[in-house]
Amino acid sequence: MTTTTTTPAAVPAVVRPPVRAGGPSPVALVGIEVRKSLSTRSGRSLAAASALLAPAVTAFVAAASDETLDSVTGPLGFMGMLTGLVLLSLGVLATAGEWSHGTVQTTYLLVPRRGRVLAAKAVAVALLGATAAAVALALSAAVLAGMVDGASWDGAGRAAAVLVAAGAALALTGAGVGAALANTPAAMTTLYMVILGVLPLARTFKPEVGSKLDPAEAVLNLSQGHAETQSVLVLTGWVVVSLVAGAVVTRRRAVA
Amino acid sequence: MIEVSGLTKQYGSRTVVDDVSFVLEPGTVTGFLGPNGAGKSTTLRMMTGLVPATAGSTRIDGRPYDALANPAAVVGTLLDASAVHPGRTGRTHLRLMAATVGVPATRADEVLELVGLTDAAGRRIGGYSLGMRQRLGIAGALLADPPVLVFDEPANGLDPEGIRWMRDLLRGHAARGGTVLLSSHLLGEVESTVDRLLVIGAGRIVADGPVSDLLGSEGTAVHAADPAALTRALETAGFHVQHGADGALVVPGAEPGEVGAVAAAGAHVLTDLRPVRRGIEDLFFQLTA
Repeated sequence: MTTTTTTPAAVPAVVRPPVRAGGPSPVALVGIEVRKSLSTRSGRSLAAASALLAPAVTAFVAAASDETLDSVTGPLGFMGMLTGLVLLSLGVLATAGEWSHGTVQTTYLLVPRRGRVLAAKAVAVALLGATAAAVALALSAAVLAGMVDGASWDGAGRAAAVLVAAGAALALTGAGVGAALANTPAAMTTLYMVILGVLPLARTFKPEVGSKLDPAEAVLNLSQGHAETQSVLVLTGWVVVSLVAGAVVTRRRAVA
Repeated sequence: MIEVSGLTKQYGSRTVVDDVSFVLEPGTVTGFLGPNGAGKSTTLRMMTGLVPATAGSTRIDGRPYDALANPAAVVGTLLDASAVHPGRTGRTHLRLMAATVGVPATRADEVLELVGLTDAAGRRIGGYSLGMRQRLGIAGALLADPPVLVFDEPANGLDPEGIRWMRDLLRGHAARGGTVLLSSHLLGEVESTVDRLLVIGAGRIVADGPVSDLLGSEGTAVHAADPAALTRALETAGFHVQHGADGALVVPGAEPGEVGAVAAAGAHVLTDLRPVRRGIEDLFFQLTA
């Protein structure tokens, strides 16, 4: 390995820098967590993928399909769900990634109150999720407007609002599960196996399982105005359970 | 000042740190020694709140670590140089730390220069050698120029120039009234850097005191132009004389001044006169065996 160091400065100059008296404010901490998420290639790639995957798929499907589209809310809902599934990973990286790389040590040495850090991470991840979902929806809508004629746009505004919120919710769910498992591969595998494997399989035997547990189905239903209360409860349940589990484990876990 | 009182850590029925207590005063460099698995790192992690203690407490400036308003402004810590994201650049890593600590972003470049990493500041940490990561960790600990430094094995991977620089840094920090706790397995490095030794074995403090007291004097070694004549003079004065491998005369239990006085009285020519000290390695193995 190439070593690139220069001769260190002789004895350190004794000019104490100006230092803030207290800890970072909640707003500053959220900003730092956003910067952390976007300061690595994996974080930036996931953020870009979550914003660009849906419009790319929309363009591909619109170009390849000959069928007439009655309403844009269906495709927008599906693309919002797709974005949300990618945002699960962004959330996982924000929390489990710190444990996997050991950076959690620096994080908690600088801000030992772990609840403050986790709260800031939750807000940061929700903001990133909502922003990525909004960009993805705006681009998808632009693609639909440019490539699809005659489709109804009734309900598109409500669907967009729902999907932006769903983006935040699924990113938060990823952050909660990541904090609870503290291991990036384990958290991603668990989430995707449950959402894309176990729940669809269970639904073939017990269809009511999907409506009561599946967050992807909840996003689709909400975007089209179906089963709204139940869908909100499903998404809220995933967010609350994962965040509570993440908070409980994070507060107790030793940083080796 | 750091006050550690009765720190204990148990995993099930296994006690890895057992009732560890010590006080670190400003203006001192304290070496924290112990074999692998003795409990050094666990103690340092309990002191900084990373590992919950089963019993006991740590107070830094009178407060537990997690009650300090801005901990990094009080304690600069380097516990594990590999605990960094390999995908970030050194500069980005330090700027994120600077934002959290509350020092200007320009301070990141200042400490990078201080540790000799300016040229590598824009490179991803994944491409850094162990020594470069140690320097980066030291840079992070120095961001706020805190009064207390706690370093766990900071010399790992450093080249001789880096080790000398780190020694000067730590001695200079203590000379300015700072407090330093240095864990290391490089015994020679510790001996030449610290004022005081804390030795931990099997989770318990087995020695705590100034280096000079712990190493102590075991006698005097002397080289003379006429060793046989000096031997006779010393034995006449009541000293027991042993012959060392390099031609030295070793006088167990004698101070150099006593041997010098005998030599001066008999007009013996001396070419070397020095105390025989127990080596830190001998002390380490004796205490931790």
